[in-house]
Amino acid sequence: MDFVIEQRTVILEGFWMTVRLTVLSGVLSLLFGTVLAVMRVCPIPPLRWAGAFYVTVVRNTPLTLVFVFSTFGLPRLEIRFSFVTFAIIALTVYTSSFVCEVVRSGINSVAAGEIEAARAIGLPFGQTLGQVVLPQAFRAVIPPLTSVFIALTKNTSIAVAFSVAEATSILRRLQNQDASATFPLLLTTAAGYIVLTLFLSFSFSRLERRVAVAR
Amino acid sequence: MKHHLRLVAVLCAALAMIVTGCGDEEESGGPDVEVEEDPEFASGSVMAELAEAGTIRIGTKYDQPGLGNINLETDEPEGFDVEIGKIVAGELGIEPDQIEWVETVSANRESFIANDRVDIVIATYTINDERKEQVDFAGPYYVAGQDLLVAEDDESINGPDDLAGKRVCAASGSTPIENIRENYPEAEPVEFDTYTECVDQLEAGQIDAVSTDDIILAGYAADPKYEGKFRVVGETFSEEPYGIGLEKGQDDFRDFLNDTLEEAFEDGSWEEAFEATLGASGVEAPEPPELDRY
Amino acid sequence: MQAISDERLIGSDHLLELSNVQKHFGPLHVLKDINLTVDRGEVVVVIGPSGSGKSTLCRAINRLEPIDSGTVKVDGEPLPAEGKALARLRSDVGMVFQSFNLFSHKTALENVTLGPVKVRGLRKAEADERARELLDRVGLAEKADAMPAQLSGGQQQRVAIARALAMEPKLLLFDEPTSALDPEMISEVLDVMVELAGSGMTMIVVSHEMGFARKAAHRVVFMDEGEIVETATPADFFDNPTSRRAKSFLSKILSH
Repeated sequence: MDFVIEQRTVILEGFWMTVRLTVLSGVLSLLFGTVLAVMRVCPIPPLRWAGAFYVTVVRNTPLTLVFVFSTFGLPRLEIRFSFVTFAIIALTVYTSSFVCEVVRSGINSVAAGEIEAARAIGLPFGQTLGQVVLPQAFRAVIPPLTSVFIALTKNTSIAVAFSVAEATSILRRLQNQDASATFPLLLTTAAGYIVLTLFLSFSFSRLERRVAVAR
Repeated sequence: MKHHLRLVAVLCAALAMIVTGCGDEEESGGPDVEVEEDPEFASGSVMAELAEAGTIRIGTKYDQPGLGNINLETDEPEGFDVEIGKIVAGELGIEPDQIEWVETVSANRESFIANDRVDIVIATYTINDERKEQVDFAGPYYVAGQDLLVAEDDESINGPDDLAGKRVCAASGSTPIENIRENYPEAEPVEFDTYTECVDQLEAGQIDAVSTDDIILAGYAADPKYEGKFRVVGETFSEEPYGIGLEKGQDDFRDFLNDTLEEAFEDGSWEEAFEATLGASGVEAPEPPELDRY
Repeated sequence: MQAISDERLIGSDHLLELSNVQKHFGPLHVLKDINLTVDRGEVVVVIGPSGSGKSTLCRAINRLEPIDSGTVKVDGEPLPAEGKALARLRSDVGMVFQSFNLFSHKTALENVTLGPVKVRGLRKAEADERARELLDRVGLAEKADAMPAQLSGGQQQRVAIARALAMEPKLLLFDEPTSALDPEMISEVLDVMVELAGSGMTMIVVSHEMGFARKAAHRVVFMDEGEIVETATPADFFDNPTSRRAKSFLSKILSH
């Protein structure tokens, strides 16, 4: 345990990287996933097909493979970023497909009659979506989105194999320095992830209560 | 009559090759290893247990050309480390084909030993004090030095002091990555599980250098796959004595391993092993190193 | 049977013109060559058995249901295809639904102001003021801040009428506005509709409310099996239906 305390700065730096990966790819996935969901319900068939194709392909690809594509594939196409950026790209590409399906189910849960009513007062597709559909869809999907983001938090640990110094990578480095500290290190790291995911669930359930509508 | 004698000589040579298995040499990529018949060991010793079992689990790397590299056709590893493993096994009376090879990467060697996943590790395993707290080492059987592999046309890196702001890749948990991190803090360390991934990134131009032991880098530079793409800088900036890792506290086993190495140094089998593997890339066999019987 | 043209009944000031409108749902022919003209200020009640196509007709007028062929003209302008132009035209045609369809995440007031602010570009303060007047007109001034779920069905439908009126439509469509209501709430909605009719609003009402038809309608259109079978004044239609199908239908609803 002394070793853990001695190395606390390094460990915290690792978790700070985990938080950055989670927040950045979380926000980007939410945006991109919503765009995909809108594509999947929009009245233009080619966009619907593109959305469906994306989700089918990406959601059924292992995350590690997505990482390999971004970290090893993009440089081959002369696309060069930092390894952290590659990780954020991989996590965003992957998580968006899950966000898309969650948001789409939220959109489908909005009463068809309300959408007709919005169209009937002359709201175009974009405003119908922005004013009536998405606000209600997001309320409905906060609980399943929480699960998606918890999964994302844990998925950031895949970046350990792709040169990103996040929490799991620090765990492995320190464990390598002192194998006798393996258990304290493992427990500390596990506890760190639990703190992050609990914080996430707590924030989302507060958000859910705040936006809850009397129905 | 003279004709006949020559024919007989050729036939005899061919027969000899078949009997001794010389014909297989090219495929297995190593020289023949002497296998002791029914060696005697003190009962209860690790050696006695292994000899009794007739097999030994050896951890080695699967992605280090010349040292420990998987042959995709035979699905067996080959290289200098692998040959050292065969010499050790032979001393225990274990045939090369009875060895159970286990792939180890830089970051998991200690835990594989600690968790009894392997009996010994021969995997470009640098002996150092930090590791000696967790595992014991026999050897060294080779002393390498950390060097840099860069793109053939990269003139900007000619030694470790040119690394400021450069992305330098080494295997996670390896000595080179720690060395870079501690002694060259201006460099941006990049780590992957294997050197293959580092070399892949170097080839793609995403990183500036791969850093590990000169002998490993020479293997990559000489690999026909990468012909003309990389050069080894040639300025070593560390000493990496390679040892055989084993579980801490097995002193009799460690003595046995050291004795085995010493014998191999003396009877030429060490040099033979080197020439059949690393020597193939044009490196001459150096003098065997001094054993460190701590 | 040939649809009866109502050309002879009307004058010149056509607000709505449907000509040769056809619509299929798969193999089902739900609108068979519909021709109908409605004048400015006219109140038309559409009546008919369920499945007769009357709701579809109503929804075809603002293109919530696309039609297969024929034309729909509102104020002389043909209904455009999907897009911004259609959205603008729709805003001139108010619609009140059977199931109210209030935006459940918005208050009564916000339900009424959404269209004026987002579609008409009214400033919020102005839209709020007008919305309060409208809510007052339907008798719900004090419910402005209530969420839809806190309102009774009758109240929700009145908010929905206020929402439609807020767009200052040229024409109001009512698609069975009282069918989903408990009996005691029907009259509060009908009262508002009668008042609207009296104020000169052009209305097409799909409804079986004979009381409303007699009191407020200028014309009754009877539909059956996708066709307009009979068009008459309410008094003529209810007292002396000419077609066999209208007679049969009326005998069924009156016997209860």
